[in-house]
Amino acid sequence: MKNRKMLLNLMSLLVFASLIAACGGGATTEAPVATEMPATEMPATEAPATEMPATEMPATEMPATEAPSAEIDPELVAAAQAEGTLTTIALPHDWCNYGEVIETFKSKYGLEVNELNPDAGSGDEIEAIKANKDNTGPQAPDVIDVGFAFGSSAKEEGLIQPYKVATWDTIPDDAKDAEGYWYGDYYGVLSFLVNTDVQPDVPQDWADLLDPKYNGQVALSGDPRTSNQAIQSVFAAALANGGSLDDAQPGLDFFAELNQAGNLVPLIANNGLVATGETAVRITWDYNGLAAIDSFEGNPAAEVVVPASGRFAGVYVQAISAYAPHPNAAKLWMEFLYSDEGQLLWMEGYCHPIREADLRERGVIPEDLLAKLPDVSGAVFPTLEQLNAASELITTQWDTVVGADVQAAP
Amino acid sequence: MNLLSRFRKFSFWSWVWFILGALYFLIPLYATLRHSLRMERDVIGFRAYERAFADPSFLETFLLSNLLAVATIIASIILIVPTAYWIRLRVPEARRITEFITLLPFVVPAIILVFGLIRIYSSPIGIPFTGINLLQPLTTTKLGTYTLIVAGYMVLAMPYMYRSVDTGMRTVDIRTLTEAAQSLGASWFVIVTQVILPNIRSALLSGALLTFAIVVGEVTLASFLGVDAFGPYLFLLGQHRAYEPAALSFVTFLLTWFAMGLIQLVTGGQGQAAGAH
Amino acid sequence: MAQTSLRMPVIKTPSNLKNWLGVTPFFLFAILFLALPSIYLVQGSFLDQNDQFTFQNYKDLFTTPLIVDAFKLSIQISAVTAIVGGIFGFLLAYAITVGGLPRSLRSALITFSGVASNFAGVPLAFAFIATLGRRGFLTLLLKDTYGIDLYQSGFDLYSFAGLSAIYMFFQFPLMVLIMVPALDGLKREWREAAENLGASNLQYWTRIALPVLLPSILGAMILLFGNAFGAYATAYALTGGRLPIITIQIGAQIRGDVLHNPGLGYAMAMGMVIIMAISLAGYSWLQKISERWLR
Repeated sequence: MKNRKMLLNLMSLLVFASLIAACGGGATTEAPVATEMPATEMPATEAPATEMPATEMPATEMPATEAPSAEIDPELVAAAQAEGTLTTIALPHDWCNYGEVIETFKSKYGLEVNELNPDAGSGDEIEAIKANKDNTGPQAPDVIDVGFAFGSSAKEEGLIQPYKVATWDTIPDDAKDAEGYWYGDYYGVLSFLVNTDVQPDVPQDWADLLDPKYNGQVALSGDPRTSNQAIQSVFAAALANGGSLDDAQPGLDFFAELNQAGNLVPLIANNGLVATGETAVRITWDYNGLAAIDSFEGNPAAEVVVPASGRFAGVYVQAISAYAPHPNAAKLWMEFLYSDEGQLLWMEGYCHPIREADLRERGVIPEDLLAKLPDVSGAVFPTLEQLNAASELITTQWDTVVGADVQAAP
Repeated sequence: MNLLSRFRKFSFWSWVWFILGALYFLIPLYATLRHSLRMERDVIGFRAYERAFADPSFLETFLLSNLLAVATIIASIILIVPTAYWIRLRVPEARRITEFITLLPFVVPAIILVFGLIRIYSSPIGIPFTGINLLQPLTTTKLGTYTLIVAGYMVLAMPYMYRSVDTGMRTVDIRTLTEAAQSLGASWFVIVTQVILPNIRSALLSGALLTFAIVVGEVTLASFLGVDAFGPYLFLLGQHRAYEPAALSFVTFLLTWFAMGLIQLVTGGQGQAAGAH
Repeated sequence: MAQTSLRMPVIKTPSNLKNWLGVTPFFLFAILFLALPSIYLVQGSFLDQNDQFTFQNYKDLFTTPLIVDAFKLSIQISAVTAIVGGIFGFLLAYAITVGGLPRSLRSALITFSGVASNFAGVPLAFAFIATLGRRGFLTLLLKDTYGIDLYQSGFDLYSFAGLSAIYMFFQFPLMVLIMVPALDGLKREWREAAENLGASNLQYWTRIALPVLLPSILGAMILLFGNAFGAYATAYALTGGRLPIITIQIGAQIRGDVLHNPGLGYAMAMGMVIIMAISLAGYSWLQKISERWLR
């Protein structure tokens, strides 16, 4: 009988729930922050009440050439608050400290943030805009954070709208679109996350990975036919293997060699696999590796190594969707991200914020934060054309050059 | 004596197969458990479990998925039971095409179905070539989105639900029951809810539990529709955390097994066929 | 179906249409949520990246070695896991039904099978990696305690054999769940009759039981084939890119950050649909045959 079935389902639910409760998890339902905060309490150089580094940031050093982010237009804030929500996509909380960035934004401006699909890739984000052109519902993203190459292609397809933040001038020219459609937000350098319990001998450079002692230990963080991170890993290897930003082929050759030697594990590495030691050397962005070490809490012991040669910087870009249901909230979000506060929050996630040079110059970065970041001097930034050419090559050639040897052989 | 020795021989091999099977199934599960207990360095402990359950998102997404699962099950029953009943009783010609329809989700790759659903229902439905819009995209409202996702889940679970219901009805004499109930003056509604449903109870329950497993584990549909379900939560956890995902997958496996056992106990029913992806 | 002595006259409604009305909700649902996306699929397979009509996708299907190989690989792994899974699954089902194991074990295995048949993707891959990966506990146990180095002797979890072994985790249970009712359907009377006529165990099985069960077994194997054929998450989690089965290729085309030719993806999906349709037709036919015996 239907009642019986429902009763049983309820019983099972109760069993689940009670077991969970017994394990000490208290569910705190988030009450939406409906209270509005007055538009005046917003100088970005002040340390807000939430978790910020204890060191003070000088509020007075603002040379005339800087556009201080304290000048966030109060009208914008009011308009954003009238919209009430911001819809983001593909922002995992452990990536560049986005968790804290979002929380700070929410508490600072009283907006709700509707987070879509945190495990989306750049392509998925573009898809989401396209698929929701006529949709003003919660699935339509307002803002996107995508790989460098996707900014201009999104612009071409008419998917994004231009906006120049208050601190626009301090963003390096080659990291933004002149008309303001997209703009770099942070970058990282490809490096090796090594589980030192399993592999105490930490590789210092790409060439080291070919050593037999790394047999069956090296893995990429994605599928090189589809994932930004993996493609750029191959590109980075090219730099260290006789190639250049214009020639990514040696990268493919390198990985073919790595595969032949048996050093390349075909798995898509994640932190669980690093922890078990299955992918003891994970090729990933330095900020991911450093965040992983934090999460391991010493178990396992791990290190992040930025390779001596072949330092490849990957830039991600922000953009506002042309079909954004909440354009003002989106613009406020951008202002927040590009304010000193936002940039420093990213830095706490080990990402290099795009305005890093400016922040350093003005001395607003706390000492302890500076100490946490690895030395990435000499990292190269590919141009759009170079990136596109390399991606084309790598995604189409990967299977034939690197993966070809494995066919069905039971 | 002949019988006895044969019986003993049977049992021996049966035990062999069973033990081999048990080893095959239980060892990987043990490996997951083992990993989950080692979050703290050199200590066997439950820290991973504490952390996993302390995350408020866990309970939120889990409960939401549970609710969606229950909604899917109820909606599926409401849709499928009367249909299967009616087909058996009155429209046997429809049987072929209905079975074909219920096998479609099995035939068409799930990822395609999901993408198709999202594409179609994210834009307004209108009369082509005119500017007239009949229906705003379902995805504009939260309610519309939930409707869409439940419909998607119903589609994914349909082969299993229909098979369960059909198998259940096969063993029951529908015709006689109906006639008897009609002769006592029962309306159609009463017949379906108070006569038919109770008799296919155990088959329904197995179908329900399989639907439950499918819904709670589903990732793609939920991710793309922006629904905070358990599947995407677990997936994301697996990307970043090293120990909690193992803890959660072990616990969910155990709990589902336990729930299934409970249901078996109460109904004494048979298991039903399902599939994984 | 049993004939009752007291029969109400079956009221034949004047128009069949009225009866069909009863199934319209279901058909409406099917059209809205099943047919439309499927049509979208078919339509999409004829479009190129600029949304123009083309046959190119289908041409690519047959001419691109990568795609042809992907189909071959998928079919191979599905066939292998269907056959091996079918055989061992049958033995397990046999053990708990006719084989005389205690009732409690039967319940345990059936409920376990219900859960295990849905356990897939990253958790399943991880479970096996944690067991038999290079740093899996079993691998290390064998190496440290018994001196057996699995990987040295050529074993590799990340291979066709490894993926097949992992697929079994949901293939065995599926087989068990399908075969248990079929085995239950083996009537005791046949067994007793056979024994009365002096048949040996072997003769009973080869002359009576297996022939009766064969359509069910083959039908179940076809379902297993379909199950493996459509699998995506597990293979992806285990091999990333090394074993390019067709479902992963489709995913790459439809979702990929870079490779983005959804038309081709849909064409590949159509290929899958056709293969699946053929296997399901075979399954239906075998079902019909087996139903004869199990009533």
